[in-house]
Amino acid sequence: MSISFEHVSHVYSAGTPYEYKALDDVSVTIEEGKITAVIGQTGSGKSTLVQHLNALLLPSEGTICILDRTIKAGEKPKKLKSLRKDVGLVFQFPEYQLFEETVIKDVAFGPKNFGATEEEAMAKAREALTLVGLGQDTFEKSPLELSGGQKRRAAIAGILAMNPSVLVLDEPTAGLDPLGTIQMMELFHSLNKKYQKTILIVTHDMEQVFSHCDNVVVVENGKIRMHAPVSEFFRDSSLCREMNILPPALIRMKDLLVQYGFEVPQEVQDIDGLAKVIARQVKHHG
Amino acid sequence: MIEVKNLKFSYDDTKTTIDDVSFSIPDGSYTTIVGHNGSGKSTIAKLLAGLLEKQGGSIQIDGLELNMENLTKIRSRIGIVFQNPDNQFIGSTVRDDIAFGLENHNVPQPEMDGIIETNAAKVKMTKYLDHEPTRLSGGQKQRVAIAGVLAMKPKLLIFDEATAMLDPQGKDEIKKVISQLHRENNLTIVSITHDIDEVADSDYVLALDNGKLVMEGTPHDVFTDERKLRRIQLDVPFSLKMRTALAKQGVDAGRHITMEGLVKELCQSLSNM
Amino acid sequence: MGNITLGRYIPLDSPIHKMDPRAKIMAMLIMLVSIFLPAGWTGYGIIFAVTALTIILAKLSFSFIWKAMKPMLFMLVFLFVINALFLKTGTPLVTVGSFVLYSDAIFQTLYIAVRLLLMVMITTCLTATTKPLDMTLGIEDLLKPFTKIHVPAHEIAMLISIALRFIPDLIEETQRIMKAQESRGVDLQEGKLTERIAAILSLIVPLFVSAFQRAEDLANAMEARGYAPGEPRTRYKVLKLAGRDYILLGCTIAVQLCMIWLAFLR
Repeated sequence: MSISFEHVSHVYSAGTPYEYKALDDVSVTIEEGKITAVIGQTGSGKSTLVQHLNALLLPSEGTICILDRTIKAGEKPKKLKSLRKDVGLVFQFPEYQLFEETVIKDVAFGPKNFGATEEEAMAKAREALTLVGLGQDTFEKSPLELSGGQKRRAAIAGILAMNPSVLVLDEPTAGLDPLGTIQMMELFHSLNKKYQKTILIVTHDMEQVFSHCDNVVVVENGKIRMHAPVSEFFRDSSLCREMNILPPALIRMKDLLVQYGFEVPQEVQDIDGLAKVIARQVKHHG
Repeated sequence: MIEVKNLKFSYDDTKTTIDDVSFSIPDGSYTTIVGHNGSGKSTIAKLLAGLLEKQGGSIQIDGLELNMENLTKIRSRIGIVFQNPDNQFIGSTVRDDIAFGLENHNVPQPEMDGIIETNAAKVKMTKYLDHEPTRLSGGQKQRVAIAGVLAMKPKLLIFDEATAMLDPQGKDEIKKVISQLHRENNLTIVSITHDIDEVADSDYVLALDNGKLVMEGTPHDVFTDERKLRRIQLDVPFSLKMRTALAKQGVDAGRHITMEGLVKELCQSLSNM
Repeated sequence: MGNITLGRYIPLDSPIHKMDPRAKIMAMLIMLVSIFLPAGWTGYGIIFAVTALTIILAKLSFSFIWKAMKPMLFMLVFLFVINALFLKTGTPLVTVGSFVLYSDAIFQTLYIAVRLLLMVMITTCLTATTKPLDMTLGIEDLLKPFTKIHVPAHEIAMLISIALRFIPDLIEETQRIMKAQESRGVDLQEGKLTERIAAILSLIVPLFVSAFQRAEDLANAMEARGYAPGEPRTRYKVLKLAGRDYILLGCTIAVQLCMIWLAFLR
């Protein structure tokens, strides 16, 4: 059981003047039970990549192995529905997919589509809503009455209620305020730790990658530019700068300190560790 | 430039969105308005632009009271750039979109091309004048929106979370354009934002919470009070978090909004002692 | 969605593309009227020849016209079945059991098919060679005389141009919502009736919600930039008639006169 892409290419509008190769011979293996960040510039192909995970897009070339299924280019995928249940995909601005009269009905929509009875679906919906931190008082409200952040949570609950073992999120914090962003990332972190869900997050925010993810996949012009553990990826900032990515604040702080004559070991990757290093040097001089 | 006194507004009876807010913004200044989502900051922008009608208090812009009578006059002095790059692109090409405002203000047709080109150049979009919106990035669309409002020669520019929906590259582009416009054209700028770097660039900060003005001052004043920032659910600058971590190690560093400031101070204690 | 050809603009460099939209719209209207004059097969022959020549001048391919026709084939087949069942005039051709196919059923269907083909050809000559925005400008100018009888010419043109501007965005939005709901197990192709209804609702409700949001944003943006419906405003794009436009109009009027002669005066 693994998630792997083998020589996968994806061509949009093949055979027309608009033909466009969004993925070009991609081979990558996503570690299970981990949080993987998928980063890259707009138009790099990262959204195309993740939409292959639940067969919304099918490869033009190559093979994708996900859980116990294989999707091959040119073949009609089998067990499509069960794949979509096991791999939950949350789109960008998912609050736009809410449509039922009440929040709880909307969240129960997914499970019902996958064959759950009315009661089962409602039970799953309640569970998922509680998990994302929405209280009883919101269950019977219309999704339109919720605040922006609550809508986002309800939409994510709609996917969690399907109990997928792999959760894929396309820029889940876009448009949220700083606190909303932090709470959202903490939710994914706990889903990963408590329920061992494999999580993929497409993001532009290096702070999120740095503090919540285990691995990074960098997509560039339809190819995998890099695939590394987060700690390795941010060991020094030259890699980020080379790829035109603003490194997280802690790494920038380390750079600045070095620039001003401090000695900072590369292994230091948290704020308290860095404080200790600074304190030692300041006190030493004092 | 802007004088707001005891401003009140609510969308419905259940909740006051703007609750007795007063502030003044001097000519040629760059002010940022911060607050968590739902704090009322976007409502303020819409009230200033006359897109919503106030329910109490007064708004004076450029010496004129904002009311139905003066609305057209005041609008010609204000430009506003909204959050969603797609939903404010009205023309079918960049050129047509910049022309839209000119047409509304009855600018004679023979003058339009010149104005369009000058303003497209200000946001570095000259090369894209004949492009359709589908072929532009979010940052480029926002730059067109800026050119569109600049073409009407406003004195005041309002940015209502203009960078919120952009990728890092787009955010950078727009932030650069904003501070450049402020420096070179002496425009008064009001920007509603979550971006701490943008706040650090501004002259003055207004912080809203539940429709009330809870903090105001220079970026340094507002963004160095960690406890208060947390209470009104705002982002705490990294330099402040670092300061707290250093205090635990017995190192006393000053309050800085930027990392540079903090590191420079630390560096001094390194060399002085 | 990308393969709809009817009404699509094809950016090419041809004399027809360069023509004034007002001349092209007028020409199209005159030609469409010509189709409905009872000028017989000779008349259709002339219209076909003239339109085909225009298509060649516009550098459009006939396979493009054929693609535009394809969606209408179903309608024609349906029409033929209806005609075959109910039209019992002309000479009987085929008898199957109690069913008799008369010649008029075939002729009537053919007649309509030819008219339809000509209509598609003529409108394609306009839509494929005229940018949507130029088209709205043309419509606005042509409607101007009617503002005296309170036809809001400018508002109509603004409405059309905004609709055109947002069609690509709405298509993209639809595809996005479809994908999002498919991820929640929606199957738009198959399922029981109740499931189908839920599937369609899951698509339509979000589309409406987002369209309303878009409309509100757009109204704000337009108002903030000084747009007030009904107020006088200048116009950036100015249309100018050139020699070739008069030639086009002259030719279409000649065809029209020809049809009138064929239909009534011969």
